[in-house]
Amino acid sequence: MTFTDFFSILPLIALILWALFMLISGLFVRGKWGIIHPIWASIGLILAGVLLFFQIGKPALAFSGMIGVDGFSLFLQGLFLLCGLLTVIISPAYLKRFGIDHYEYYPLLLLSVSGMMLMSLAENLIVVFLALELLSIPLYILAGIARPNEASEESSLKYFLLGSFASGIVLFGISLIFAAAGSTDFNVILGKVGNSTIIVPLMLAGGALLVVGVGFKVAVVPFHAWTPDVYEGAPSPVTAFMAVGAKAAGFAALLRVFSMLFKGQADVFMPIFAMLAALTMLVGNLMALVQTNLKRLMAFIGIAGAGYVLMAFVPFGDAAIQTHSIGSALFYLLAFTLASFGTWAVLTGLEQPDGKGVDLQDLAGLGKRSPILAVALTVFMLSFTGIPLTLGFWGKFYLFRTAIEGGYLWLAIIGLLTSLMAAYYSLRVLVMVFFTRGEPKINLTYWTSFVAIFCALCVVVLSFVPGELFDLAGRALFGA
Amino acid sequence: MNLNPLLLVTFLPAVGALALLAFKPAWKSAARWTALAISLVTFGLSLWVLAQFDPSIGDMQMELNLPWFALAGNPIGFHIGVDGISILMLLLTTFLTPIAILSTWKAIYENVRGFMILFLLLETGMIGVFLSLDLALFYIFWEFTLIPMYFLIGVWGGERRVYAAFKFFLYTLAGSLLMLAGLLWLGLTYGSFDLTTLTQTASISLNAQLWLFAAFGLAFAIKVPMWPLHSWLPDAHTEAPTAGSVILAGVLLKMGAYGFLRFNLPLFPQATLKLAPWMGIMAVIGIIYGALVAFSQKDVKKLVAYSSVSHLGFVVLGIFALNSQGISGAILQMVNHGLSTGALFLIVGFLYERRHTRDLDAFGGLWRVMPVLGSLALIVTLSSLGLPGLNGFIGEFTILLGAFGSTALGSPWIAGVATLGVILAAVYLLHMFQKVFLGPVTADENKGLKDLSVREIAVLAPILVLILWIGIYPKPFFALMTPTVDKLVAVLQAASVALH
Amino acid sequence: MKFDSIFDLVPLVVFLPLLGLLINLLFGQKLGEKFTGITASLATGLTFVVSTLLAFGLNATPNPEPIKLFDWISLGSFNASWSFRVDTLSVEMMLVVSGVGTLIHVYSIGYMHSDVRHNGDPARYRRFFLFMNLFIAAMMILVCADNFLMMFVGWEGVGLCSYLLIGFWFEKGKDGIGNAEAAKKAFITNRIGDFGLLIAMFLIYWNFGSLDFGTVFAAAPTVAATHPTAMLLITLFMLLGVTGKSAQLPLSVWLPDAMAGPTPVSALIHAATMVTAGVYLMARSSAFYALVPTAQTAVMWVGAVTALFAATVAVAQNDIKKVLAYSTISQLGFMVAAVGMGATVAGMFHLVTHAFFKALLFLAAGSVIQGVERGLHHLKSDVEIDPQDMRNMGGLRKQMPLTFWVYLIGGLTLAGLAPLSGFFSKDEILVASSQGHSAVFVVLLIAAFFTAFYIGRQILMVFFGEPRSAAAAKATESPRVITVPLLILAALSVLGGLFNFPGWLVMDHWLARTLGEGEPLAFLWSVAEISFALALFGIGFSWLVYGRKSLPKDQPDPIQKGLGPVYNGMSHKWWVDEFYGLIILTPYKAIARFFAKPVDLGVIDGAGNSLAAATKSLGTWLRRFQNGYVRSYALWMLIGLVAILTYLVLR
Repeated sequence: MTFTDFFSILPLIALILWALFMLISGLFVRGKWGIIHPIWASIGLILAGVLLFFQIGKPALAFSGMIGVDGFSLFLQGLFLLCGLLTVIISPAYLKRFGIDHYEYYPLLLLSVSGMMLMSLAENLIVVFLALELLSIPLYILAGIARPNEASEESSLKYFLLGSFASGIVLFGISLIFAAAGSTDFNVILGKVGNSTIIVPLMLAGGALLVVGVGFKVAVVPFHAWTPDVYEGAPSPVTAFMAVGAKAAGFAALLRVFSMLFKGQADVFMPIFAMLAALTMLVGNLMALVQTNLKRLMAFIGIAGAGYVLMAFVPFGDAAIQTHSIGSALFYLLAFTLASFGTWAVLTGLEQPDGKGVDLQDLAGLGKRSPILAVALTVFMLSFTGIPLTLGFWGKFYLFRTAIEGGYLWLAIIGLLTSLMAAYYSLRVLVMVFFTRGEPKINLTYWTSFVAIFCALCVVVLSFVPGELFDLAGRALFGA
Repeated sequence: MNLNPLLLVTFLPAVGALALLAFKPAWKSAARWTALAISLVTFGLSLWVLAQFDPSIGDMQMELNLPWFALAGNPIGFHIGVDGISILMLLLTTFLTPIAILSTWKAIYENVRGFMILFLLLETGMIGVFLSLDLALFYIFWEFTLIPMYFLIGVWGGERRVYAAFKFFLYTLAGSLLMLAGLLWLGLTYGSFDLTTLTQTASISLNAQLWLFAAFGLAFAIKVPMWPLHSWLPDAHTEAPTAGSVILAGVLLKMGAYGFLRFNLPLFPQATLKLAPWMGIMAVIGIIYGALVAFSQKDVKKLVAYSSVSHLGFVVLGIFALNSQGISGAILQMVNHGLSTGALFLIVGFLYERRHTRDLDAFGGLWRVMPVLGSLALIVTLSSLGLPGLNGFIGEFTILLGAFGSTALGSPWIAGVATLGVILAAVYLLHMFQKVFLGPVTADENKGLKDLSVREIAVLAPILVLILWIGIYPKPFFALMTPTVDKLVAVLQAASVALH
Repeated sequence: MKFDSIFDLVPLVVFLPLLGLLINLLFGQKLGEKFTGITASLATGLTFVVSTLLAFGLNATPNPEPIKLFDWISLGSFNASWSFRVDTLSVEMMLVVSGVGTLIHVYSIGYMHSDVRHNGDPARYRRFFLFMNLFIAAMMILVCADNFLMMFVGWEGVGLCSYLLIGFWFEKGKDGIGNAEAAKKAFITNRIGDFGLLIAMFLIYWNFGSLDFGTVFAAAPTVAATHPTAMLLITLFMLLGVTGKSAQLPLSVWLPDAMAGPTPVSALIHAATMVTAGVYLMARSSAFYALVPTAQTAVMWVGAVTALFAATVAVAQNDIKKVLAYSTISQLGFMVAAVGMGATVAGMFHLVTHAFFKALLFLAAGSVIQGVERGLHHLKSDVEIDPQDMRNMGGLRKQMPLTFWVYLIGGLTLAGLAPLSGFFSKDEILVASSQGHSAVFVVLLIAAFFTAFYIGRQILMVFFGEPRSAAAAKATESPRVITVPLLILAALSVLGGLFNFPGWLVMDHWLARTLGEGEPLAFLWSVAEISFALALFGIGFSWLVYGRKSLPKDQPDPIQKGLGPVYNGMSHKWWVDEFYGLIILTPYKAIARFFAKPVDLGVIDGAGNSLAAATKSLGTWLRRFQNGYVRSYALWMLIGLVAILTYLVLR
């Protein structure tokens, strides 16, 4: 293992070691010292972030081409660390209130994060699968950490069953590709595709399976059905984490695999992605219209979000705009991450141990009760809708732009019309918050509010520098 | 460095709004006075802009073009400027805002600070819409105005405020989103989002022009609103607080008409020429339809709301007459409608504050009880029904005159039918005036009503001055816009030559 | 100063009344009734002085340049400015308006004093004079405008004042809203006419490229040659405007209701000046009509038919002012017919004399009404009788001798007895019609007969026989401030004929400077004898019916038996109002309601809402697939996979 290899995954190593260290150290920390775990976890994440910082501008291929450090992976790793950190911040109060503050919680979180980071680095199908499992398994546990709460256990079980089903499909897909190209290494396969010494049908079938497997992770219709149930049952911070992190990781895989391996077959897959995107946007938004449970609402907002990201990815084969396509996808992911995390932070404050408190009505009067959170919530909702002066606006702006550039005007139109539905359910939330009198039960801790406000500020402030942000996200993939 | 006056006038209200954030919610009158002061200074600034404006040239002036960021290699800039069309809209906005704010003294007592913040943000948004010369920037301001207005209606509105706020937001957004698609396509296909660049360089095929006209036009038509896309208007107008209705009718509707003038005509001239007759017909339907529906309303505010549908029909008709009389008339009529309908809403507001009803049948004989209000209301009503010597007539006459001989509309019939609207306007407006002010005082609650206070007179007085001024000596107003309009007309004539 | 610069005074005819208005607006409240009334009358009086100066000025310089005050609208090729036209025609109108106007203002000082008290709102005294001065200003704008647009300002301005003054007692009348309704009716009916005028203006601009009288009339012949249809349309649409303002068929319905206004208003606006604006407009545009025979015929017949129609209706009215109102419509018909026959001068001549004697009649009627009201007041009993209903009068010549005499003069003038002014002016019209328009001639003669009859009937019912009510018995003569204007007007009615006395034809020569030299109408003894005889016959016939024996109380009108259904038609104004109600008002309300409810709230608003509802229900429908079973979720994944694979295979 050369130094480059080591250096290229340094943040990853650091994070994993830190997690293991916490697992052990946790055994000796008891009682009121429990507060130390989140602090440790945050330090670990920040440390990894610092290490990541040193990799900026040093693209590298490591582990004989299994790991690729490039702008894409850096951006995503940063995103994942951010998710991890925010999750850690909003967790303690919630876990305490629900009496489920097991110290394993934080190490598992860190491990899942590292899995996501690995996913963004993967340039080999095996690594992709490895990362997929590494990020998923801790999540299965975390979803059920609220046991003996039935809802939590059910959600954990559902997630586990369907998740492993999906993993199976992914694995099958990988093996087919291996059969087709005789390798799992992206660059090798690329070479074979180049001199067309692959068995195309197998390749395509493999691709299809990957679409389904990964589509499950990112919750693309019709592979989305698990999300509302799982999200609703799982503890809010965990949901927040999987709703944002897991989704992003899934997209990381999708973007990398397809924009590299299937460039040649783009014209085959573009229609598939287009159909999926359209379906996802429509179903996600349509069902979000009729949700009254906020966690389920967020689930469908997430599904819709996946649809939008996918729309950006549709014209991935068009070399001229590939950077735009990936750039806008990542840009929207970021916008989505911030807005949803902010919302989830508020939800952690609302949710009661008996599972109540996350109904639309429970927001009534929030505007009076805590105006700042209310304004933050407004920002998030407007961002989901895509109203100017929020990151969400530019996110959609870029998405539609890419779709139109790629010649998918109809897709853009669907995106626009569904945005109208988005406006409807976002406004419904605001109606509750501002136009309805009520006394909301909300347990606000300093940290939850901090996360909400932080996200809101990012959503607004960053919307003034969309260009720079886009350039950051639009860095070309290594070798792509 | 010397600050660009347009930049100041655009963002001063927003800055003021931020300043208000520092206030305690309890400091109600402080918030009121501060907001009023800010809006007055903004008006002063816009007069300063007017002073620096050279009416003799029809080009953009005081332009400011800061590069913002690039979109697929196409620069998007913070590009603002003012010409003969936008300066009048700017003045209208900055003129009406302080009046609207002053009208809320008694009407708004809950969360005054929040109200004022939103109101000032709204002003920035509106000014931005009228000054932006970059498609993306325009769209941002355009959409942004939705948010404050949504809250103004939703928080301080009447019983059905939530429904109204929703409707307002969704209808407008529906249009705007299509505009966004068109805007992106336009910018990406012709390599720029800058209006001036596009108008000079882009040569758009007729087919593309038609599609883009539709995409932009729908957004504007909903905003105007043109028949049959108007059904958000009555609810929004009725449920909004008085000040909200004033700005809604006075300025927000003009954004639609302005959009046609600023984008559809110069960018898609051939499509404009092709579609002019249809737009004209829709406008005329709006004129007659609005007048008819207004006549059978029981709610004063609804009546005035539908009258807007009718009046804006005249504006659109004038725009698509595509000759200097029609367009100039339309622009002036935008101002006129802002003044007279704004004043009408203020008057309805005064009545509502006293009687807490808007039901026509609840009033009657008020001229006897409130002579001052009665007389002022009479003048406003007359201006709204286009009595010669008052502002409304100048606009309507020039519009109809232009439309009657317009080659673009193709037939004097359109203007002829539109002229019937002049009769119908008298029908529903005099009906309203009679129901409220004439006849005996029927309800006892009305017997003891207090006449207008000094503040309330001060709210109406400036509008009345302009109503008379424009009616008797509109020359300075026309002078401001004429060179710009002439250029626009020239563009269209060139296009019609190209078309045939 | 140079003498021709006298014309620079012309804007004063507008500004003086406005000044009066302003003074009263600011100080009237404090300084009280006397001050208000005198200021207003003074303002109008000075206007008259200025008009006279202008008239003298014209003797020196026949056709001065228009006086331009300042630009108004100038867009591209379109130009309209505030500029005043001083020529014989406009000055003649100025003299009539300001002259009669002043007298009526003075009269009003007294009349309104008691009127506001009778109606119980003395504070409204000032408002009356504000409106009156505003009216004078608007009327002046109308007559001295130099282009159609400025004239239109006056045209609708006077309409507004009429609206305000008809509805002056806006809380009175039938069901308390009657007066307001009448006012609205007047304004809207006029608006229908104004619609015609607007269209006419558009046509003029797009065919002549201008709205200035000078330019337009100069170019008329060429345009008439090139665009005959345009000219026809212009003249006909203008005629629509005229029928509105001058209460000709089919738009005559508003004038009778307009009597809801205080009597001086009826005299000034609805008899002497405003309603004659239509005649003035056509005289002004005679250059047009001369070129379009078809339109002329239309005008002529509109006038003639209206003259007869209104005269017949006047016969069967019992309200003293209603009779005069229909008489006005009828006389306006004479004028319009005259202009239609190209006898413009005759029309203008009748306009002037009519202004005198009709104003006289109305003001005298006002004096009568107040006399009866005083009687009513004197009784102190709460018997409610209508002081305007002639059936409650009778024998007033004893109580109100002066009023009686002036009324008699006015009546005989209207009837057209030589040598009173009405005789000469009407005679000219008849002469004109006798030359080649025999049908119209006959119609007008019949109308003339009816005129004599109904005015005779009125005088007999009001002043002769026995009082038919206690109030009438107790009526008293009016104060001097009211009677003096009456005397002056009476004098004018008697001598007015001199203005265009056969042989001298002052007015012919005077107006010729503006209208161009035409062959003055000769004085035909034959025609004169016929009309004189008819007038005598009419009056005599009315004496047979109403005068021989004093009219009994609460009896049906004597002629009712004789005429039967015809009388019924006359007294119901031939059901014109009912007819319009049936074909216009009711349908309009119905259509409006239809659009407001089913169409707007139903279809248009419904479309939006139901779209939203449909979307939501689609979402609800999709929920069924969210059943919570892992197996079905897995199934969906499989279905998706299969779908993709099939696509790949079939591709």
